[in-house]
Amino acid sequence: MRLRVLPKGQVPDLVRALMADYRVWGPKAKGPQFAFEPLYDPAEMRLDYNISILSPKVALQPPQERVAVFRMDGGFTVEPVVEAEPTVIFGMHTCDLHALALLDRAFSADFPDAHYTERRQQALIVSIECLQPCDEHSFCKSMGTWTADSGYDLHLIDLGDAYAVYVGTEAGEALLAKYAPQARPAADAEVRRLNEVMSAKWPRFPHRLNFDAAELPALLATAYDHPIWTELGDRCLSCGSCTNVCPTCYCFNVIDSPELSLKEAVRLRRWDSCQLDEFARVASGENFREARAARQRHRMFRKGKWLYERFGELGCVGCGRCIRACLTHINIVDTFNAIHASQHRR
Amino acid sequence: MSKSSVAKPKVAFFDFASCEGCQLTVVDSLQTHLDLLDAVEIVNFREAATLNGWDFDIAFVEGSITRPHDEERLKRIREQAKILVALGACADTACVNALKNLQPPDEVRRYVYGEHADWYETYAARPLSAVVKVDAVIPGCPIDQEEFVEVVKALLVGKKPPIPDYPVCVECKLKGNVCMFHIGKVCLGPVTRAGCGAICPTYGDGCEGCRGIIPHPNENAMEEVLDEAGLTLDDIMHRFTMFNAYREVETGKW
Amino acid sequence: MTDSLYAPRVARLADIRPMTELEKLFVVEFPDGSSLGHQPGQFVMLSIPGVGEAPISISSSPSRSNGHFELCVRRMGDVTGVLHRMKPGDFVGIRGPFGHGFPIEQMRGRDILFAPGGLGLAPLRSLINQVMDERGSFGRVIILYGAKRPAELLFRDELEQWAARDDVEFHVTVDRGDETWTGNVGVITTLFPKITVDPRNTVAVTCGPPIMYRFVLMEMLGKGIPETQIYLSLERRMKCGVSKCGHCQINHLYACKEGPVFTYAQIKNVPEAL
Ligand SMILES: Cc1cc2nc3c(=O)[nH]c(=O)nc-3n(C[C@H](O)[C@H](O)[C@H](O)COP(=O)(O)OP(=O)(O)OC[C@H]3O[C@@H](n4cnc5c(N)ncnc54)[C@H](O)[C@@H]3O)c2cc1C
Ligand code: SF4
Ligand code: SF4
Ligand code: SF4
Ligand code: SF4
Ligand code: SF4
Ligand code: FES
Repeated sequence: MRLRVLPKGQVPDLVRALMADYRVWGPKAKGPQFAFEPLYDPAEMRLDYNISILSPKVALQPPQERVAVFRMDGGFTVEPVVEAEPTVIFGMHTCDLHALALLDRAFSADFPDAHYTERRQQALIVSIECLQPCDEHSFCKSMGTWTADSGYDLHLIDLGDAYAVYVGTEAGEALLAKYAPQARPAADAEVRRLNEVMSAKWPRFPHRLNFDAAELPALLATAYDHPIWTELGDRCLSCGSCTNVCPTCYCFNVIDSPELSLKEAVRLRRWDSCQLDEFARVASGENFREARAARQRHRMFRKGKWLYERFGELGCVGCGRCIRACLTHINIVDTFNAIHASQHRR
Repeated sequence: MSKSSVAKPKVAFFDFASCEGCQLTVVDSLQTHLDLLDAVEIVNFREAATLNGWDFDIAFVEGSITRPHDEERLKRIREQAKILVALGACADTACVNALKNLQPPDEVRRYVYGEHADWYETYAARPLSAVVKVDAVIPGCPIDQEEFVEVVKALLVGKKPPIPDYPVCVECKLKGNVCMFHIGKVCLGPVTRAGCGAICPTYGDGCEGCRGIIPHPNENAMEEVLDEAGLTLDDIMHRFTMFNAYREVETGKW
Repeated sequence: MTDSLYAPRVARLADIRPMTELEKLFVVEFPDGSSLGHQPGQFVMLSIPGVGEAPISISSSPSRSNGHFELCVRRMGDVTGVLHRMKPGDFVGIRGPFGHGFPIEQMRGRDILFAPGGLGLAPLRSLINQVMDERGSFGRVIILYGAKRPAELLFRDELEQWAARDDVEFHVTVDRGDETWTGNVGVITTLFPKITVDPRNTVAVTCGPPIMYRFVLMEMLGKGIPETQIYLSLERRMKCGVSKCGHCQINHLYACKEGPVFTYAQIKNVPEAL
């Protein structure tokens, strides 16, 4: 893999140059926290952010988007709306990068979803290595997502006064050549510095899962009727925050809304959550996941088993966002650990 | 599209005990959405015009029922209307009007009407649904302009108004807000019906529950959240009382 | 212009036939005369612009398509309510056909036992009529149909035709009779003792409300029909029809993709399915 070095002082120039040709998304301060948003000024970007409230998937699957427009006039016509533009997502952490790999599979499997895939094709990813855990809730080390050797076009590692830049793709190489010609091959000293930085990183990250994440699907297979689901169900508010912040959740609702004139209508899709009461309810009133316990189990099984079986990737990348967002402290790591402990006690 | 759905529905507005803020929001909507007047024909709207027609299809009714006398008028409206919509929190949940339900009724009457209290018959404030069948509600104190327009659109195409059953947290997260609890504030969003676009947390204030409580709230869990935020049980009741006193009196819970 | 999975094709309601108080049959055609190209047991997503979309089974047999297909729809809510107020000549949106239908090739040469309950006849009728049209390539055909009341029986003219055929064993029952009803009264499971089957050579097919199919499955298993030869069509909330939106997920299965038709063997150990 090609390695370059970019002095830190030149990052704002790079971002500014990119902004001329791309929509550039990056981490920005939002109160005491951070959010991925389009950048309008390179100075807004905070590459020192710990974690963003919503994952950067917002750039590829927005919370709400139009998917079609109907024009009515006696009969009607349908116009698909696929909105994509050249985009750079700057400063993505590696947990979110791994999540992206799963979204890529989910949206391109079987029936490719152009709303996602078109945006994805036009998006370049500049990720950045976390040198310390974002906070006490992350467990990326346990999920093997605390670093990445692919999935990005460019990947930054903070060397102090410069960034080491791994070039992951030809598109990344071209981007660097065009927008950051100052980037140069790494000198020996810089490679040594990079190795030091990376070896200092490992011990800073704790393992939070008490077992190998690869065991998760098999572990959950034994835990369908585990009492912990009732316990979580009793505590859960069904607020949907855990799924809305999750980088691998992609469920949605489809909603049609007419204009007042009834001459036009839009079809929207909006993030939806399996934690909400009505998610699996049908018109006859039957609700196929009525109990909060069943909905919690569904979420955690989707993360630890079902998506893995379908796409070969675990549905949890250990970012810890669901834990931070949950006001009743429902904690996916503690849950998996508790199941593991109880299944191995006997 | 069905060609039969183009006839303009006749719409009427009525009010009972309320601040008329929701009707004012309707008046504002008429100004911001000029095509509203192309879509419906308003035949009765005291607040905005001196119209008092009784030939209407859809009745938007604002306000709580606070006197036995109100019931008759409401029932007459119900008889005429094909669709009756409760407009705003007063009509939907009895809103702040129900605060008086927490006091002995004689005291309230005396406080409001002084020495003439006995001339006026008033009773515990109640939502429209306690008296007649309500086909749809537009929650909120006051109602949200956009939601009002969405409801009108839904009625025009013949579907039930899209009032969410999920809590404010959903809209709050979709907006990417910092959670109020993470900055030391208190918020009733997890149990309050969404639809306002989480406007209060978006502007940095905790939700006060003005749109009423969602259908199946997890009351214990919410109390624990508020307890952890430092509220006593009294504080908790107090917080919900503002907009949800009717529910409090009816169910014995907040 | 890039196409969207969620943008329907425009179709015309060629005819609308009243059936019961709650159900109507909608004959749908594409203006360009093209055919839907479906398998029995598949469904479409039916849109009404500005109102929404609903999954509806295709009720007509591919063998009788000649440029149109039929949907038997119960008035339940928004989309179905507005649809019921529409007139012939009005337009709707159609996406699909979607899902995994009945594997008709694997049914050839076998005896077939159909046991639909209520509206469950809608998807099964597609298969039944294909079997009727290719009657020679199937063994015995047994149809057991149950409805709540006589007034709720669907496709009455076809029921009569099936009853009149001597190559079809047809039994119908209603939960509650009325003055005019002289036939069987009782739930659908009361029809099972009337029939004998050669279990190894029989394929059984059912669809209906959960409370009904749970008992019907017991009867089918009770007759000794192998689990891999019992087919059932499941209902779930659906928003996309293309295995994306997550609404129809039954544990690891998507009803819109792996289903809606499943074998009993496929789902008997899936706790959320039945
Ligand atoms: C595979 C399949 C085949 C079906 N075939 C038929 C049929 O042939 N005839 C028939 O009358 N009905 C059928 N149904 C049921 C039909 O889809 C619902 O009655 C319909 O969605 C109700 O929509 P609505 O807008 O009128 O009701 P509302 O209550 O207003 O529902 C709102 C929305 O929720 C979703 N929804 C609600 N109920 C269901 C449901 N049961 N299944 C899926 N999504 C739902 C839909 O997106 C619907 O538009 C089928 C359902 C499935 C899953
Ligand atoms: S965030 Fe917590 S309370 Fe809310 S739905 Fe998820 S688990 Fe339940
Ligand atoms: S389940 Fe929780 S920790 Fe795992 S990826 Fe989703 S938000 Fe992150
Ligand atoms: S979870 Fe790990 S990879 Fe993700 S932001 Fe936190 S430290 Fe970085
Ligand atoms: S601020 Fe309030 S509404 Fe928003 S997520 Fe937090 S609790 Fe929910
Ligand atoms: S956030 Fe809460 S108090 Fe504010 S408008 Fe919405 S429901 Fe009312
Ligand atoms: S209907 Fe969306 S996943 Fe099946």
